[in-house]
Formats: sequence, structure tokens, C-alpha cells
Amino acid sequence: MEKNILLRAEHIDKRFGITHAVNDVSLTVNAGEIRGLIGENGSGKSTFSQMLCGIYTIGGGTFTLNGKELHVRNQVEANDAGVSIIVQETGTLSGLTVAENIFLGHEKPFIRHGIKNTPAMNREAQRLLDEYGFGRIRAGMMIDHYNFEDRKLVEIVKATYMKPLILIVDETTTALSQDGRMELYKIMDRTRADGRTVIFISHDLQEVLAHTDTVSVLRDGEYIDTVASADMTEDDLKRLMVGREIGSAYYRTDWGTPVSDEVVLRAENVTVPGLIRDVSFELHRGEILGFGGLSESGMHEIGKAVFGASWDRTGRVVLADGTEINDIPTAIAHSIAYTSKDRDNESVIVNETIRNNTVLPSIEDLAHGRLLIKRELDRFAKENAEKMQTKMQSTGQFVSDLSGGNKQKVVLARWIGKNSDILVLDSPTRGIDVKVKQAIYALMQELKEQGRSIIMISEELPELMGMADRILIVRDGSISGEYLRDPNLDEETLIAKMV
Amino acid sequence: MEKTMKAERQPSRVQAFLHSDAFRALVPLISLAVMLVAMNILTGGKMLTPKKIRLLVGQVYAPMIAATGVFFIMTLGSIDFTEGSTLGVCSCVIAILSRLDSPIAVPLSILCGILCGAVIGAINGFFHVKFKLASFIVTICTMYLFRGICAYLTTESAIPAAKAITVLDGMEFFEIGGFSVGLKMVITLLVLVTAFILFRFTRIGNDVKAVGSGETAARFSGVRTDRVKFLAFAVAGALTGLAAFVNVIKVGSITATAGNQLETQILIGLVLGGLPITGGAKVRFSNIVCGMLMYFVLDNGLTIMGFDSAPQQLIKGVIFLIFVALTVDRKALKVIK
Repeated sequence: MEKNILLRAEHIDKRFGITHAVNDVSLTVNAGEIRGLIGENGSGKSTFSQMLCGIYTIGGGTFTLNGKELHVRNQVEANDAGVSIIVQETGTLSGLTVAENIFLGHEKPFIRHGIKNTPAMNREAQRLLDEYGFGRIRAGMMIDHYNFEDRKLVEIVKATYMKPLILIVDETTTALSQDGRMELYKIMDRTRADGRTVIFISHDLQEVLAHTDTVSVLRDGEYIDTVASADMTEDDLKRLMVGREIGSAYYRTDWGTPVSDEVVLRAENVTVPGLIRDVSFELHRGEILGFGGLSESGMHEIGKAVFGASWDRTGRVVLADGTEINDIPTAIAHSIAYTSKDRDNESVIVNETIRNNTVLPSIEDLAHGRLLIKRELDRFAKENAEKMQTKMQSTGQFVSDLSGGNKQKVVLARWIGKNSDILVLDSPTRGIDVKVKQAIYALMQELKEQGRSIIMISEELPELMGMADRILIVRDGSISGEYLRDPNLDEETLIAKMV
Repeated sequence: MEKTMKAERQPSRVQAFLHSDAFRALVPLISLAVMLVAMNILTGGKMLTPKKIRLLVGQVYAPMIAATGVFFIMTLGSIDFTEGSTLGVCSCVIAILSRLDSPIAVPLSILCGILCGAVIGAINGFFHVKFKLASFIVTICTMYLFRGICAYLTTESAIPAAKAITVLDGMEFFEIGGFSVGLKMVITLLVLVTAFILFRFTRIGNDVKAVGSGETAARFSGVRTDRVKFLAFAVAGALTGLAAFVNVIKVGSITATAGNQLETQILIGLVLGGLPITGGAKVRFSNIVCGMLMYFVLDNGLTIMGFDSAPQQLIKGVIFLIFVALTVDRKALKVIK
């Protein structure tokens, strides 16, 4: 394979306040390759790629694409220069049609004398959708009509139809089903076959190894190495990312340990209009109860319902002592904890300090009379942050400065400090690197051993099979299957109940 | 591992200081000092004379009391435009009731004034919380409504307050160095101290900040967000009612323009004091005191310098805009609730 350098990054640098997110990174990417970009949370891979495509301004250093220095101020300019990105979170705008989303910022060819030719735009968009094999998505429909996954497919079309020289795929696969992933891999392969380049960012190392030619590793904002994927194993990559050996014992290793008969929480005919229907289950003392399903199945709402956070819920959520849980303060007062899938909006207050985020649910326990003493709050926050080994400068640091994994540690520290007996963990390891994942699994096991009960909602089947005592599968808002912990359980059985 | 630890973010000392709590605590004080010195120079030393200072302090009581309530609302990330009209209506209520032929007319009128303010605040809070309307929309609507009521009550003529209540203006407890400590100052200090304790050392302050920083996450952490928001508006209304009492004893007779522009004075004052318009964690209590003092230093300074009210408004507008742009927390930026 001849080496034809397409992109050269030299001394790329970026700081956010006092956080040095990307620290003097230099690397080159060849034409016609799929390059993996991996690193733990906060290693700077997203920041790096977002500078490349104009989402962030470049803090220092230069990008040279095809011999020309790149100066882009936004994504549209980046597209024109030949760089496009599919982002981790929703990148489509609601209130616009599918076609308008695809051609956002590139409407010019459809405009005559200042007037947009909507039929022509729709026709072209539909032609593209059909070409990609997503013909069931209609170009003239509002984007809101489609679910999260279909919108991701629209985004893929949007990012690739103009045949960019560099396509950045940032953590997109976690939002896609198996079919969607296969489509994306095909597009990546086609891009490479054309002599263009893909930069593929993912936490799923298996996927990275299977679909890339080379892999670059970042750690704490610094460039570590670029290696050929074929020579690497998952453990090799982990070692490069973390900088030390990581054990492969991830999940629980015990099988067939009996779970107590004591019921600590019972859900009876819980219904939330449009989301879940007639969901009933019992949670036992010391049990890890897993909920699995597609992301739109309604399983995430079950967690909210248990925590008293659903809007118009009917049915009952009752504790062993007969207390009904109908609102969040009651849930917290009765020792229920909740971490949301939507970490930045529902779990942590990002524009607050670590201290205040940690003390919030325990604030009444920490008050002397009615007065709060800052030293006391600080001690509490510090103690629990240390328990979770949160990487931070001080408890006065703002959560917005932290990486995803550390944010999750702040969330968990809050409930550990509250000493909650029932923990509802929705997607606890979503977008989190191996090291923190391992810590979270260990914590769950420890909590279980202390006799606490955990509801774990997850889109990752291996995690459910590895951690849960019992798995409930949710489909279209109802429970469609129940499986006990079993080493012989396989993903296919569960998937069959999900779709 | 050694290597990563060393490479880890070594911010310069200046940077660390600029980000530290201690520095942020000082900013409002420094701004006030700069404003005082600048105005004193611009007015050729006419600003810092005992007479002018007494005048300035006399002006600041009522707005400071009302601003304390608005401070909690703005910490929530909301806004309230009704202070002026609330003060007008409450002043009317107090003036009218003070003339009742009853021995308890004065305490009754004060109580009813505060209650009236609380009801107006509760109306704002109710529409904001129950109907999920943005607070600036609700309070702009109610501002017109209550300004209308105030104008209606004062159509015939100005409403004079009873002598029994206006004498309280001169009520003095003791003197320190030529400064008499009167009723108005005591009330203002009591309000500030109570609010400070609530804000800094109780759950209320914590909850208010949490809602301002991230309402959804606060709700998921057990904060009763709707209750907090409703109470903040009701309390702000009640405090404006109390400010109306201070206003009544000062001016003696209420006209249609009572409390005119009070909401903008407060808004500009709090922003000058460094309160980020998005509210949240970076709000500090000193924003009220320093901010309101700064506003009146600016106001008096401009008057001494001989500016008419029209160019004064223009200058204040420009300064306000600059401060909003400087203090706003762009990371937290969203529509004001």
C-alpha cells in the first residue's frame, strides 16, 4: 500500500479554561484508509475531531488537508473543504423536513432568484436516500416523524452524500441497531475504496479492530501512538489507552448464587401513556435486575416511573413497607437513587460545582438544625468523590469541566453518599471508557453484596448478561420476556424478544 | 502513569487565581470601588461629600429591599418586570389604609401592603409555574395590568398617606458619626441579613441555585422545583410590598408614576453587581448590595455631572449592555425562563 498522506495535523492544541483538552497532538492520516481514534473519556478525541470540522475553533497548531492549510469556521465551511462529521448526539434539527436537514447549509443549488425549489430538493434527497438503501425514509416528511435511529441514518446521508475527503464518525454506532451499523460500515468501506478517508471514533474496541486499518491512541489529551489494527488485540489497545495493564475480569463471575425472596419494591400495572403499558415486576433484596430492549422500547421510562419522575403515570410503585412512590422527593427520602441515560440534563447539573452536585439529595441530612455549613458539605463531597476516585482538582470545580466518566462518578458518589438501598441505574456505562466501566461494575457488585438492590437498564446486552441476576426484556412498552442469570444465555435469544 | 500525572493540567498561578472563588467574591467589591472612584473624579470630587452620600443612601433603601427578592428570581434564571407596578399598587394600598380611622391603621396598612405584594408575586409565580410560561412574558403582561390598576387608583388625584405613617420616615434609633440609623436602614439591613442567611446557609439558597444551574437535573436530585419557583415570586412580591412601605413614608403621597422604572433600576443594578443574567451557581449575594449601590452611584454621578434624564438613559443603556455581555455565562446560555 502506497502511503499518500491526506491529512497532516501539527501541534494541535486546545484548552478549556484550565483543562488542557488536547495537548500538542501531531499525526498524519493517509488517503484510502479507515483510521480508528480511541482513548478514554476526556482523552481529547472528540475535541480533536471537532476542531478538524469547525465545531470548535483551533486552539493552536495547523491542519493540512491535501497540502492546503485548513481554516474552517463552521461545519458548512468544513464540508466545502472536504471534511464532514457524524456526531455522537442528535445532529438533525427538528421542525425541518428530511430533505431540508440533508441539504442544511447547502441549499444553493435549489435556489432560483431567492426562492427555494422544494420539489427539486425533495427529489434529490429522495434519490440519495434510495441510493443509500434508506428508501423507506421519505424526503418530504418532517424529521420529527422519525425515531432516533432513522434520524441518525439521515445524518449519515447528510454527512456523506457530497463525498467528503475525510469522514469523521464520532461514537455514532451506539445509537444504531445492528442493521444500521452494517449500513454505516458499508459506507465506510465504500469511502475507503474511493481513496478517501474515514476517522472512526468508538469505545467499542472490538468494532474498532474489525473495521479499521490503523488506530491512533490519545491519552489525557496527548498523542500516544498509531498502530496497525491487524497486529492488535483488544487488550493491547486497552493498555495503550490506559497506560497500564487492565484485567479482563470485567463482569461478575458468580453463577447460580440464590437471590433473597424478600421483595423491596413492587411495580403494579405501571402505565405511562405512549411509553409504557401495564408493567409489573418485583425487585428483591440484593438483586441486580436488568432491563433490556431497544432504546425506544420504553425501558428508560420504567426507570423514571420507579423514581416517581414520570409525568402522567398510572399504576402503583410500592415499597416493602407500603409506601407509594409518586414523586421524586418521596423516592429519595425512601432511599431510592436514580441515574439517567441523559446524564448532562437529568443527572448532573453541569453548571454547578462537584460539591453542590454531590450534596443535593443529602442536603437535609447534612444540615445542622436548618443551617448548612460549607466545610461540612465539602467534607461530604470530598469523602464520596474519593470513594469513587473521581479525577478532579477540587470539589469546587465545575462539573462541566469533567469528562463523561468522571461526571458519572459524581452522580454515583452522590447516591453512595446518600446511602441509597435501591439504585435505578439507567445506562450507567453509556459513553464511558473501560477503566471507569470496570469501577462501576465493581461498585455494583459491592452494593449487591451489601444487600442493596439495583435496577440496571441498558442497551448493551453483554453488560446485562454479565451483571444481572434476572433480565426483563421490554418491547413496545411491555415486558416481553424474563430470563434468569445463566452462563448459557445468548444474545440471540434476548434479541428475538426485543424486536 | 507518571508521565500522565505530570502532564496533567498545570495552570499558571494567575489563571488559577482568576478562576478561584476568592477572586470571584472580590469582583463586585472591586467594581463598586472603581465606580465610586471614577464617578468621584468625573464629578470633580462632588460625589463623596457627606451630604451626597446621605442623599444616595436615602434613595437606595426601597430599591435594595425589592432587589433582594428579584435577586432570588434571577438566581433561578428567571426575570421579573413587575417590581415598579407592584410598588405602585402596594403604595396605594398602604396610603389608603393608613388613613382609616382606627388605632391599628398603620400596622394594618403595612401588613396589607406586604400581603398585596405577595399576592401579586403569587399570581406571577402561578402563571409561570402552572402554565409553564416564560417569566419575562408573564411579568411583562402583569406589569401592564398592575400599572393600569395603579393609574386607575390615582386618576382623580395623588393619594396622600396619613401623617401617622409618614412620621415614621424621621424615626431614628441612634447616631453614628453624623449618620443617623433610622427605621428604613434597620428594615433594609434586616432584609439583607435574613436573605443572606437563607441564601448562603440554608437549603433554600442551595435549591434556588440548583434550579438556576440546571432545572431538570435539580428536579431529578429531589429539588421541588415548582415550589421553589412559586415561592421565589411570592417572596419577591412581599418584599416589594415592604419596599412600598419605605417608599410611602419617604414620599408621603402616591401618584400614578410611583415606582416607575424600578424594575429596570433593579435589573441594571444586579447586572452591574456581577449577577449573571442566566442565574445559577455563579451568583453571589454581594451582587445585590454592590450592584444597587453602583447603580445609584452612577445615577447620582450622572446627575451631578449635569446630564438630563434622556442622555442618562442612553448612558445607562450602553453600560447595561456592556455588563450583560461581560457577565453572562455563555456556557449556560439559553432562553431566560
